[in-house]
Amino acid sequence: MSVVELEAREITLEPPSGLWNEAWQRLRRNPGAIVGFGIVFAFVVVAIFAPVIAPSDPRAQNLSLIREGCCPGPSADYWFGVDALGRDEFSRVVYGARYSLLIGVVSVTVGLSVGLVLGSLAGYLGGIVDTVIMRLMDIMLSIPGLLLAIGIVAMLGPGLFQIMIAVGVTQIPIFARLLRGSILAQRENDFVLAARSVGVPRRQILASHILPNAISPVIVQGTLALATAIIDVAGLGFLGLGPQDPATPEWGTMLTGTTRYLQTAPHLAIIPGVAIVFSVLGFNLIGDGLREALDPKFRGRA
Amino acid sequence: MLRFVVRRLLLLIPILLGLSILVFLWIRALPGGPAEALLGERATPETVAAIERQYGLDEPVPVQYWRYVKTVTRGDFGDSTVSRRPVVEEFKQKFPATVELAVAAMLFSLLVGIPLGFFAAKKYGSFFDHASLVASLIGISIPVFFLAIILKYIFAVKLGWLPTVGRISVLIDVDHPTNFYVLDAILAGNWEAFVDTLKHLVLPAIALGSIPLAVIARITRAAVLDVQNEDYVRTARAKGVSPATVDRRHIFRNAMLPISTIIGLQTGLLLSGAVLTETVFAWPGIGTWLVDAIDARNFPVIQAGVLFISIVFVLVNLLVDISYALINPRIRYS
Amino acid sequence: MRGKSFSLLLLLVTMLLALGLAACGGDDDDGGEAADTGAADTDGGDGGGGGTLVFAGAADPVVLDGALVSDGESLRVIDQIYESLVSLEPGTTELAPGLAQSWELSDDGLEYTFELQEGVTFHDGEPFNAEAVCFNFDRWYNFTGSFQNPSASYYWQTVFGGFAETDPDSGAPEESYFESCEAVDEGTVIIRLTSPSSAILGALSLSNFSIASPAALEEFGADEGEVDDEGIFHPTGTFGTEHPIGTGPFKFVSWTRGDRLVLERNEDYWGEPASIDELIFRPIADNAARLQALQSGEIQGYDLVEPQDVPTIEGDENLQILDRPAFNVGYVGINQAHAPLDQLEVRQAIAAALNRQEVVDSFYAGRGVVAKEFMPPEVIGYADDVTEYEYDPATAEQLLQDAGVETPLEITFCYPTDVSRPYMPDPQRNFEAFAASLNEAGFAIKPRSAPWSPDYLGLVDEGKCPLYLLGWTGDFGDPDNFIGTFFQTAQKAWGFENQEIFDILNEAEAETDLEAREGLYQEANRLIMDFLPGVPYVHTEPALAFAANIQGYVPSPVSLESFASVTIEE
Repeated sequence: MSVVELEAREITLEPPSGLWNEAWQRLRRNPGAIVGFGIVFAFVVVAIFAPVIAPSDPRAQNLSLIREGCCPGPSADYWFGVDALGRDEFSRVVYGARYSLLIGVVSVTVGLSVGLVLGSLAGYLGGIVDTVIMRLMDIMLSIPGLLLAIGIVAMLGPGLFQIMIAVGVTQIPIFARLLRGSILAQRENDFVLAARSVGVPRRQILASHILPNAISPVIVQGTLALATAIIDVAGLGFLGLGPQDPATPEWGTMLTGTTRYLQTAPHLAIIPGVAIVFSVLGFNLIGDGLREALDPKFRGRA
Repeated sequence: MLRFVVRRLLLLIPILLGLSILVFLWIRALPGGPAEALLGERATPETVAAIERQYGLDEPVPVQYWRYVKTVTRGDFGDSTVSRRPVVEEFKQKFPATVELAVAAMLFSLLVGIPLGFFAAKKYGSFFDHASLVASLIGISIPVFFLAIILKYIFAVKLGWLPTVGRISVLIDVDHPTNFYVLDAILAGNWEAFVDTLKHLVLPAIALGSIPLAVIARITRAAVLDVQNEDYVRTARAKGVSPATVDRRHIFRNAMLPISTIIGLQTGLLLSGAVLTETVFAWPGIGTWLVDAIDARNFPVIQAGVLFISIVFVLVNLLVDISYALINPRIRYS
Repeated sequence: MRGKSFSLLLLLVTMLLALGLAACGGDDDDGGEAADTGAADTDGGDGGGGGTLVFAGAADPVVLDGALVSDGESLRVIDQIYESLVSLEPGTTELAPGLAQSWELSDDGLEYTFELQEGVTFHDGEPFNAEAVCFNFDRWYNFTGSFQNPSASYYWQTVFGGFAETDPDSGAPEESYFESCEAVDEGTVIIRLTSPSSAILGALSLSNFSIASPAALEEFGADEGEVDDEGIFHPTGTFGTEHPIGTGPFKFVSWTRGDRLVLERNEDYWGEPASIDELIFRPIADNAARLQALQSGEIQGYDLVEPQDVPTIEGDENLQILDRPAFNVGYVGINQAHAPLDQLEVRQAIAAALNRQEVVDSFYAGRGVVAKEFMPPEVIGYADDVTEYEYDPATAEQLLQDAGVETPLEITFCYPTDVSRPYMPDPQRNFEAFAASLNEAGFAIKPRSAPWSPDYLGLVDEGKCPLYLLGWTGDFGDPDNFIGTFFQTAQKAWGFENQEIFDILNEAEAETDLEAREGLYQEANRLIMDFLPGVPYVHTEPALAFAANIQGYVPSPVSLESFASVTIEE
């Protein structure tokens, strides 16, 4: 979590108008971002068309395949080998993309929307509201992210939905801080002062002037947060706090039991792991590209 | 400077208070309440009532909290419900293990990450620069437990170069006065134990240190690139100061500012990562201690452990802020 | 720009590939080369002697006092330090002389007379005699307070029943079979019972009834401490943690929790002294880590080898596998308190829906046989002609229809995590396979997992699981230790009351005529499998692994194994 937060600090908070077009041009020329988009596009396609791509049902067992020991590695019939229950690992990884994407998006949405509201309130209202909200955020940040998430899962019980919430909650403070900083910077801007002087209501100023201009760092942050969310969810799954049904082809959960078979079937650990690395890498590349594209500091350098 | 430090220390108080309230309320928010959670599936209304009476859980929450604060400020964190030993005593054993691991990981990431980022920036746009960029990108994209499993598989299982689990081999007999095993080996003057503990430390430290390494390399590179174009660097160059001196005196020193901040931020990541790394390498530290405690609903340990870790995290960040102020002559705190 | 972006792309792909390859690489050249440092150098030190053997279990012992523990890790160490009146022929469940050289049962089945071995001393130099034996029996019989917790003094309560003064709230049985222990002379002991019990003599071979030095028991406060609600003993005295004194072939040296427990050879042992000088037990929780420690020579042996690792060990010339005879049963428990599981057709449907043959064939690496009743064939009273249930999903669905339940029938099925038992090395895998085959036959399984310690057994024992995975490893060669434990009284875990089964098991336990007894237990097994309170599915042969140069370890079906016969070859 802190990586993202730190990198967010580098983002300059004032995108001048007309920047979007320019940013897009720059993004198109950024090879890293292109690779990132490619990976994420592939990831999304795989997630959506999983039933078409996967050769078999990810839950279909074939115990006769593992009679000679756990577990046969990659072969012509089973491209990624089979797991400890004779299930096709390739199909499982393909379906796993659905879970990772879903979990990532939902948890970031949770973190982003709550963070957005808290950050806006703190930044715009200021005073005691600001102090209370930001101290609370400080406290949340002083508990290492994974521990906080584990604590929340302990409270809610293990499960897919619960880890989405837990990971989402750990992301709230980052978004809240980002929004608050952004709003503080915008508040003193000329166009805000102008709007205020002609009597535009506060809520409208916030909605139509401040938020839109604060949004670009949020987009960057959101992309990077997707990457962290996928890693954190996999970590919780690895610790056995993931979906209650162990047959669920979630990547982190798939990794959980594999240390037991590491000597005889290392592919069971490597394949879902590499899938996680790829998808996280995709979001990180896009996030980096977006930041460079949106950050005036980088203009002209690329 | 002193006022700044005092102010920062005072700011710690609301954070610690808030933290203790949060952890306190968290335990009361567990499904079925603490008594039932403690008893697990064998809970009956009678045993729950007995436990609630025994721990004063039938009193109003503010009263309970006040009593909790009173005992904690006396340094009494209760006994582990599993081992029946005082939590503080267990902490003294587990904490050095995690610190040893975290320090080793941090050293690894700094010693490799800073030079990597520095040379990447100096050779901006070169193959080396790209290679290090890509490597560090992959570095921040790898889940730490996956890296740990892979390292263990290659270097411990397949190649057999390094031990797979634990902190020291069983046949090596050495006293542990400090519980920092490397230090203990040095104190005992036991060369064999020293080498053995280092060997046990290598894989977990690399696994845990790789993400900070990637981040540090990236930040160093960015910082050096920024500083390189600053006026004072150009001036120095124009004045004919030798490139090595410019590097050392101006670029490196100023680039250290963002790097020092990151060390503080990485501490949180290290502590999170330690939970997973320790699990993979069966490292008897705070991470495995807490995960086991959560599994076993060992509340005194959870309560104290989360509090201890957060205090460490907050203190490290304070130290970083102070050193930041010390390094950076341009910043004056009022 | 073009060139740059291309080179970046290339790099990215190369690095990812390298990552993948590095991880996959060396797949073909099969593991295990790590092992050649071997155990040979471990006998360094005092030379000439028998060397040091390091053996890994899965956890630390709880406490080294047989009367208050029932976990395998404690018992493994206790077996080296202490001995019982009766012993077993190595590798079997046949009774053999132990600290008693002979015994006799009176005609009314109420008096056991033991003639003790002569010239035996405890490790502290105290003499072993009839008084010492009675001191131990009286200690067990007079346990009070939390020591009466059924999980703590489990074996006393199972074998002898209640105590001198049984606390009605303790959950211990009120009646006791134990009447008195009398030291007739230095070498003769009479143990009197209140009513005949055929299970007692075999049970006396248990490590839980091993004889400790009375002086040490008193001096080091063996009875000081508290048993917690989970049945775990937390001593405040030092007997079971620092001064465990028995008569066995090894003496206690030191114990650092979580690290190592060191024993040394008892030079004054009354029988054949041990060959090895030093025996170290080390807790390594992770199975894969135990295997790696053996391969790297850090340890010379470990217990609880998982089936998937057997080929790796067998393929390594520096290592060897030893088999324990099958003496366990793994079963799917059914709790009849949860309707409609009280209907026989529904239970029969479950039995028909479980693909037991396939699970046993695929998950146990050839070390399991499909179970057809709740005890292994080696135990007397095993009936060959019980009702058997063939795997047939169609029949299962038909049975559900006949029972008049709505399909798919939704049932919660519990399984434990963080545990490995010989009868279920990877419980989650068994669960997943069974859940899939149940779902195919008209059930809708809802999974529920819980960590073995501290939740799972509580979950099952309190009757909260309609279906659950569990099993049992026998402690001594008696049917009472299997079906008697399960079905002699009503238990929340099974949720039924079947007086016919309770009665026949009570009758069988009291019967002292061996042949009549066997017939009764066979009949009980037939009744049980008709009634189908659960579905037994496997008996396994658990494996131990040792370095190839370790000789003389004799695996026992009941895990009563001595390191005294072990030698380390050069």
